[in-house]
Amino acid sequence: MLKQLTRQIKLSMGIFESNGDTTYGVLAEFSNPGTLLDAARETRKAGYRYFDTHSPFPVHGMDKAMGLGQSIIGPIVFGGALAGLALAVWMQWWMGAIDYPLNISGKPFFSTEPSTPIMFELTILFSALTAVAAMLALNGLPRPYNPLFYSENFRRATDDGFFLHIGANDGQFELERTQEFLESIGGYNVEVIEDRETATATSE
Amino acid sequence: MAEKPTSSSSPLTWLIDPVQPTQDHAEDRYRFTASVRSWVIPTALGAALLILSLVTLFTGETQRFLYAYLTGWSFLLSIALGALFFLLIHHITKAHWSTVVRRIAEAVAYSFPMLAVLSIPILLGMYDLYHWTHPELLDPASPDFDPIIDGKSPYLNEPFFFARLAIYFLAWTVLSYKLYTRSLASDVEHAPDTNYNLRFTSAWGIPVFGVTTAFAAMDLLMTLEPHWYSTIFGIYYFAGAFLSAVCLITLIAGFLQRRGGMLQQTITTEHYHDLGKWMFAMTAFWAYIATSQYMLLWYANIPETTVWYRMRFEGGWMAHTNALVIFHFVLPFLILLPRAAKRALPLLSVMAGWLIVMHWFDLHWVAFPNAFAEGGFHWVDISVGLGLLGIFVGAIVYRLSRHPLVPQKDPYLQRSLKFENF
Repeated sequence: MLKQLTRQIKLSMGIFESNGDTTYGVLAEFSNPGTLLDAARETRKAGYRYFDTHSPFPVHGMDKAMGLGQSIIGPIVFGGALAGLALAVWMQWWMGAIDYPLNISGKPFFSTEPSTPIMFELTILFSALTAVAAMLALNGLPRPYNPLFYSENFRRATDDGFFLHIGANDGQFELERTQEFLESIGGYNVEVIEDRETATATSE
Repeated sequence: MAEKPTSSSSPLTWLIDPVQPTQDHAEDRYRFTASVRSWVIPTALGAALLILSLVTLFTGETQRFLYAYLTGWSFLLSIALGALFFLLIHHITKAHWSTVVRRIAEAVAYSFPMLAVLSIPILLGMYDLYHWTHPELLDPASPDFDPIIDGKSPYLNEPFFFARLAIYFLAWTVLSYKLYTRSLASDVEHAPDTNYNLRFTSAWGIPVFGVTTAFAAMDLLMTLEPHWYSTIFGIYYFAGAFLSAVCLITLIAGFLQRRGGMLQQTITTEHYHDLGKWMFAMTAFWAYIATSQYMLLWYANIPETTVWYRMRFEGGWMAHTNALVIFHFVLPFLILLPRAAKRALPLLSVMAGWLIVMHWFDLHWVAFPNAFAEGGFHWVDISVGLGLLGIFVGAIVYRLSRHPLVPQKDPYLQRSLKFENF
């Protein structure tokens, strides 16, 4: 149950774990950002859901082509903002009126006027930190280990290579058929990625 | 108010639109297709409301009328200034997205000559509006002698006041004239330097705009309570100005598209989204500036600086103050926060109308408590405001009707049409 849930969460982060066996997925290279964009659209159209694209720079329109939809980061940040605001109100009230009341030129121990900057700043601070943390979490980062790194060719994803990878746990995934599909939409250097971490663990 | 397009050389038309009609050069999809009623009706209704409001001059409510007029007029002035700034900031940053709505902003911005003429009732009624014009305050022998106002008299005197207003209006007219006419000229003739020229004008225009707007806000509205001063007041006025200009541009664009069937596939959801972002940002900016002004005065707690807020916390004005916080900031902020709200034109239009009304409400709150101890509205406040707005909008639609609705030969236009938010 918990394992299932973690799998689902990881999938939403783009971490596709293999289904028991060592096959992690199929990787194909594309010649330029345009063909990668078309390939993502085709892959989506063919019914694949667990796939990801890799390019040296952001490709505009890719999230639409992959059908990623609107990120849920907005509501999450709003939650962070409310938490920051609440903390600021509570902190100003508790410190000023309860814990250490100080009479400063006859002003009230707690009032909204002087607390507004604190409320504003903590709202901003919590929003910003939540945004960064949620962005990392939703992207499944940091991720030091990725089976794709076993591909020599994949190193060029940070230089001049454009890659599309279909996860083995996709409902549509069939090794031969998926390879043929990737070639049919213009992919080359198609290779099967083995999750060697599990492979070495079983062989040793 | 406005004359037939054929007589565009007459001075009256120059006040409204200094350029000969160029609508014949417009590409079909950028043509203004609504009938003359689109600008005659608002102008006529506005003029009728203004004339009706004159009744108060004969019922002994001259001061109420003048305050209503000053509120309505400085409301329009702020919208024109906001539209001018909209042009300046987008030219200087080489913005592409805004090119499709630029002509609307230009039509709004070229309002200064007309507003200068409309300022005559304020200049005639200065004695009732501005307490510092009373000569007995400066006379040491008089029982009403006011040493504070006497000390400010080198700045606050009528000749200098008129001279300053003249300088402001000269600067704004020159700026808006350059931006408006150069842009219109590029529709018909080959003018490859247009964008460079517009950007050059904006470069010196922004500091000139900043100083003149800040001082104008202080002169026109802050000196209604001459004992009080706030160095942030000009920015406060500017925040509302830019906000309401963006709202009016959104409303005009929406109106041209949905009611007039014009500019189809030209102004898209993407452009409304960006206008919505400006709207949202300026709502927050207004609140930031308003808080900055209030918090410092609250904290310093010096009688001559808190008096301005005290007037707004008493006699029924507290309800206005609370309404301002809730309806000018809290609710619009929360409603405009989600992405979906900025991309839904019906909701965005409602918010644009709402925020324009709230900006007028804000200026009403700035002006009236200085002279009227009791809060609330008199019918003339609203009829003068709507009357002036009718004439103002009528003139804008008249300008739009004479020219192509977008800068059709602008090199940035193609990128603006294809613009998409990520």
